[in-house]
Amino acid sequence: MRNATVLVIRLRGVATEAIKNIVLAGIGKLIVLDDALVQPDDLAAGFFFRDEDVDAKRRVDAAKPHIQSLNPLVKVEVGHDLSILTNEEALNTLLKDVDLVCVTDLDQAAAIRVNNSARSQGKKFYCAGAFGLSGYVFCDLLEHQHVAAPKNPSKDGSKSRMEQYKTSYAPLSKALLHSWRDTTSAATKVLRPITVFSILACWEYQTQHSHAPSSPDALPELESLANRLLKKAQVRQKVCTSIPAEALSNLAQTAALEWSPSCAVLGGMLGQDILKALAAREPPMANFFFFDGQTCNGTVVRMAMEPAPNQGAPPGAIGNLPSSLNATAEPAVVEID
Amino acid sequence: MRSSQTAALLGQELAQKLKGTRVLVVGSGGIGCELLKNIVLAGFGEITLLDLDTIDLSNLNRQFLFRKKDVKQSKALVAAKTASAFNPSVKITPICANIKDSTFDAQWFAGFNIVMSALDNLDARRHINRMCLAAGIPLIESGTEGYFGQVQPIIQDRTECYECVPKPIQQRTYPVCTIRSTPSQPIHSIVWAKSYLLPQLFGEEENEAELDKAENDGENPNEIAILREEAQAWKQMRAALRSPNATAAKTVFEKAFRSDTQKLLGMDDMWQNRQRPVPLDFDKVAAGTFVLRGQEQVRPTTDMNGSSSNNHASGLRDQRSLTLPESLDLFVSSVERLSARLQRGEEIITFDKDDDDTLDFVTAASNLRSSVYNIPQKNRWDVKEMAGNIIPAIATTNAIIAGLIVLQALQILRGAYDSLVWPYLTAKQNKPITGSQLPPSNLACAACSDTYTVVRCDPSKVTLGELVEKVLEHTTSGEDGEGALEPSEVAVYEAGRLLADPDFESNLEKSLLDLGCERGKFISLVDEDERWNTLTIALCALPENEKSSQLLLSSSRPRLKPKFKVEPPTVVSMDVDRPALKRKYDPEETIVLDDEDGPVRKKVKPNGGPSSSPSKAQRLEEDGLVLLEDEETIVID
Repeated sequence: MRNATVLVIRLRGVATEAIKNIVLAGIGKLIVLDDALVQPDDLAAGFFFRDEDVDAKRRVDAAKPHIQSLNPLVKVEVGHDLSILTNEEALNTLLKDVDLVCVTDLDQAAAIRVNNSARSQGKKFYCAGAFGLSGYVFCDLLEHQHVAAPKNPSKDGSKSRMEQYKTSYAPLSKALLHSWRDTTSAATKVLRPITVFSILACWEYQTQHSHAPSSPDALPELESLANRLLKKAQVRQKVCTSIPAEALSNLAQTAALEWSPSCAVLGGMLGQDILKALAAREPPMANFFFFDGQTCNGTVVRMAMEPAPNQGAPPGAIGNLPSSLNATAEPAVVEID
Repeated sequence: MRSSQTAALLGQELAQKLKGTRVLVVGSGGIGCELLKNIVLAGFGEITLLDLDTIDLSNLNRQFLFRKKDVKQSKALVAAKTASAFNPSVKITPICANIKDSTFDAQWFAGFNIVMSALDNLDARRHINRMCLAAGIPLIESGTEGYFGQVQPIIQDRTECYECVPKPIQQRTYPVCTIRSTPSQPIHSIVWAKSYLLPQLFGEEENEAELDKAENDGENPNEIAILREEAQAWKQMRAALRSPNATAAKTVFEKAFRSDTQKLLGMDDMWQNRQRPVPLDFDKVAAGTFVLRGQEQVRPTTDMNGSSSNNHASGLRDQRSLTLPESLDLFVSSVERLSARLQRGEEIITFDKDDDDTLDFVTAASNLRSSVYNIPQKNRWDVKEMAGNIIPAIATTNAIIAGLIVLQALQILRGAYDSLVWPYLTAKQNKPITGSQLPPSNLACAACSDTYTVVRCDPSKVTLGELVEKVLEHTTSGEDGEGALEPSEVAVYEAGRLLADPDFESNLEKSLLDLGCERGKFISLVDEDERWNTLTIALCALPENEKSSQLLLSSSRPRLKPKFKVEPPTVVSMDVDRPALKRKYDPEETIVLDDEDGPVRKKVKPNGGPSSSPSKAQRLEEDGLVLLEDEETIVID
């Protein structure tokens, strides 16, 4: 972790928070790329920006000194060239010297392109975005290995060995095609599909229109997108037959906006997970996090990945106890509500 | 610019409301810094930030509003200054003071629309809980422990308050200076040994680049020189441990328990009201001739059969307390073992309670330190439990919780009480953030089942009798206002002290001040016949320019409710020693308190804390401490 190089693409609220978190913790090097000037809207959650930066400085230039001051030991570099998003060769070159790439608030197609390049180079990938009070975080950690104390320590009290756990992640393109057909009704319910597909619909909308929904006029299209995705994913009808317009009306108007407290939650989860992925001592999430800022619920859906290895509960366990303090590899058990 | 964004996101009305909201944030540490940032950016109009602490070097990797140059300055002041740059239109008033100060009476609290607690200790939280109940304003409580955390909105009569459910796990926090210089409990020594000494010697190398940069930036050269000297000393020690060196253990001992202690003794101010630590002399301790506070610390003789302690089963050995020479032996032996491992190629050794070498080291080092400071010793078994329970603070948890606090605040401001939830962070892979339903208040709660009222007066000019009489006159009881409570029917308490009751009235003629009832204190009137609930009076200061003999009552008349009687649970407990409420802490578990008068209340208690068996919790509690909570402790990376 101390020597890792992390590349962040686009500097809005979620990126701001995640950068603060990982720089404070201490990585080796941070590279931030964004071609835009500071926008008035950026001041809502971008605490690296000041009033006088609006329309005057580039985001990354305004932010650089503030990022650096968080931790003098981290090398901070910035760049203005986002042509890499459409130039595969340039992207591959850039990714060569990077350990982990994180894209934020990008449309799906761009995110997939970056993911695919990252994959081809064996680099870890994160993408995240905020839609109004809600948002998502996704990760593709390829074949990720981490080390943790075993779940069932040996009975004779001998020194516990650390065990290696391996998880195979899926690329974003595959994850988005995930079918919920084999997920039980109970498990589906826990994951809150309305939240999931509302957010995915916003993201789809953003990809098609190059900006997220930002007015009540967007509602009909958003509703249709959400329901199309829901159906395609074969979500259990028993749990959710459709996404009602009421669930989407707020997002239709506000998805293009961001708010500091929600960015804090999303950037917190994102930052925390990047650190876990780099340190490889605790299990990072797998693999798609969805957060609903209205109800303060955040679920992680395992999309297009093998089900977690079921290590079985120790005898006498009641429900799901929080893992022991020296974090162990908690199996992602599909649970019954 | 920001306000139009907020209006677009939340609607004009709510945005306006936000702008006119006066928030009190108590605590400017790990959660506090993150929270302040969120509130400042979110569009709140007026913020008051209170914290009594100053900034320490160890805060810098989590509390992001502080920089190296701010060390030793007031947290509240610096946080306010840094954060106001994020949104210059917000008014931030920093206060460097203790929230329990009498200045901050219920009337002062009532000046805010909402209070957010970003604290780390039980005592202050209880105090704020009561103040908010007295002032009748919403409070949002929160806490974090490692990766866990929770946010609890508290609204009188609608939700549980902070004291509705007893907190079975005592949470404590330790200021860094306590750990580094003025420990007073065994846990302080253990934290010092595990989180400071062990990493210092066997953990990651300290990077001097920061000192270089500080020097280049022109910071105080004297202070930097001192820090450099310290860093050098530790560097030499680390080098000694990594090469064959027969005297490395002794050198470390002399530094940690003798010369460093001597340095601290030089600071007279520190020891004005505290017992002075005693530096240890390696050779004398080893020989069994060291005299500690008048007692010669001899080596134990072998028992009658000639068998030494080494022959006992390891379990028994673990439970035995060590003498000072034995602690020294254990220290030397563990240092040598760890040193050998370093030389065999292990680069970094961190504490693991199942790693005998590190556990021996922490046991020995913490007990030696306890001897220095005249703190009770702990046996290896206890050290294993206590050290194993120390949770490093995790900055991102604080960031997430702080975000959730403001999201809940939004619902409160909206008046959407039905949308309020109890967000907590779980260990569940599929549901890391859960917004669970808020449990209703405990009708028998010692804090929130009372009726509160604010009285403003000069405590030197008002007698207890006057207060009781005037307040009860002003009070109504029951639905129809009938059934008053007479002064002759109540017992009067201040905190735990009985001041007066129908059989003991002499105090009624004394002034409040003479009875120790000053501004900021609460006086409770308890109905001796148990018909009505308790009336608690929050004593506040008179407004300026008011005649000092005045007694100002609240404009709305306090109303007493019929006293809620708790029936004992009908669930029969097989284990009579174990109170029904103490049990495994599992976020999903429900307690059923069967109540003849009320509905069966199913309660989910997502404390977000790690699970531990009741007996373990009890045992650890008896030892004086269970879990170390965040904030000012030395952080393990």
